[in-house]
Amino acid sequence: MKIVKKAQAGTMQSSDLMVFLEPAETLNVTIESTVLKQFGALIRGKVDEVLAKHGIDAGEVRITDRGALDYAIEARLETAIMRATEG
Amino acid sequence: MVTSLLSTDDLTQARALLEATGLQFETPYDDLVGIFEAGRLVAVGARQGRTLKMLAVAPSHQGGTLLDEVVTELVGRGYQEGVDSFFVFTSPALAPNFETLNFNLLAASGKTALLEYGDGLKRYLARYTRLIRPGNNGAIVANCNPFTLGHRYLVEQAAAAVDQLFLFVVREERSLFPFGTRLRMVQDGTADLANVTVVDTSWYAVSSITFPTYFLKDGDPGGAIQMELDLLLFAQRIAPHFQVRTRFVGSEPLCGTTAAYNEAMHRILPPLGVEVREIERKNADQRPISASRVREMLLRGELDGIAELVPVSTLDFLLSSEGIKIWDKGGAR
Repeated sequence: MKIVKKAQAGTMQSSDLMVFLEPAETLNVTIESTVLKQFGALIRGKVDEVLAKHGIDAGEVRITDRGALDYAIEARLETAIMRATEG
Repeated sequence: MVTSLLSTDDLTQARALLEATGLQFETPYDDLVGIFEAGRLVAVGARQGRTLKMLAVAPSHQGGTLLDEVVTELVGRGYQEGVDSFFVFTSPALAPNFETLNFNLLAASGKTALLEYGDGLKRYLARYTRLIRPGNNGAIVANCNPFTLGHRYLVEQAAAAVDQLFLFVVREERSLFPFGTRLRMVQDGTADLANVTVVDTSWYAVSSITFPTYFLKDGDPGGAIQMELDLLLFAQRIAPHFQVRTRFVGSEPLCGTTAAYNEAMHRILPPLGVEVREIERKNADQRPISASRVREMLLRGELDGIAELVPVSTLDFLLSSEGIKIWDKGGAR
């Protein structure tokens, strides 16, 4: 799928994350997290997995996380993808 | 649930809640939201452009997630409106509350702390990393509305004194000439100077966030604090990244706000490792060359004298069809 418009999902509450998606020529993922030191690599792995699952290979992906578990990351990112790819 | 505050009763409650927590109800705003519990407003927050303000939670409801919910709503709505970075001013004591929401502290001075949501500053700095050469570098921050021989003189003087000169063009769109055209005039007007690198200030220097009163006619008391934040941010975050050791500025005989800014520069920057060099303004006809003088002449249609005040590259732009459209709003030409 292709990111065709700006979309956002999630909240700023603890154990949740905010996802921001924007159209772009290349794929650029930035992750900010209160637990980046401990779990940065795992968060990045989950994000890459979900993006790959939906065939997203271009877009500006910004994530600000407050210690969300991996299924929350998946759910929020998928929601944002649905919002960003619908016509 | 977070809802928009629209009715007279909503606004009355918002005002009371803000005043009870030591804040003021400040118009204007683009969005005002709150959370009610049994008909009583227990949390409030507003967004004006990129700035979040009037954030308050009733004392009886603090320590929960209400602030998170209000900020989430404001950021989510703002993002849909096309705003992609958000700032908040708060007291240094409350800054950690925002840091847990992924806000990053940009600068703190006495009673005020400025935080940014997300890592915009880091991304901004990273964008220029490959242009930076190590050495004794200098910086000028200028609006260039439009680029004049006065700017050119300041740039020449500064460039001769340093290894690499970064010329930061103010991004904020509060000027007669839009940012894109100002940037182009500066690039064209300095293209022959090999050690001058033209960059954009983004929101991090002389912007409506760091220094809102720069764009107002008269200074206000709040302006002094924000002038300090602007300079702290420059000295602590921007200058080290660009390896800037000297900031150059033109002397300011005309505009009170800019003169106060220069004065604050001398006070704040040197202790933080950035030398300030004030360079005497260049004159034409015994009067300092200034962009405002050029604008006045343009608006009065006195085109003949302008060639003495601006470089050929700027004159070419001013007299191009694109340039004329900007200053001749009436379409007389």
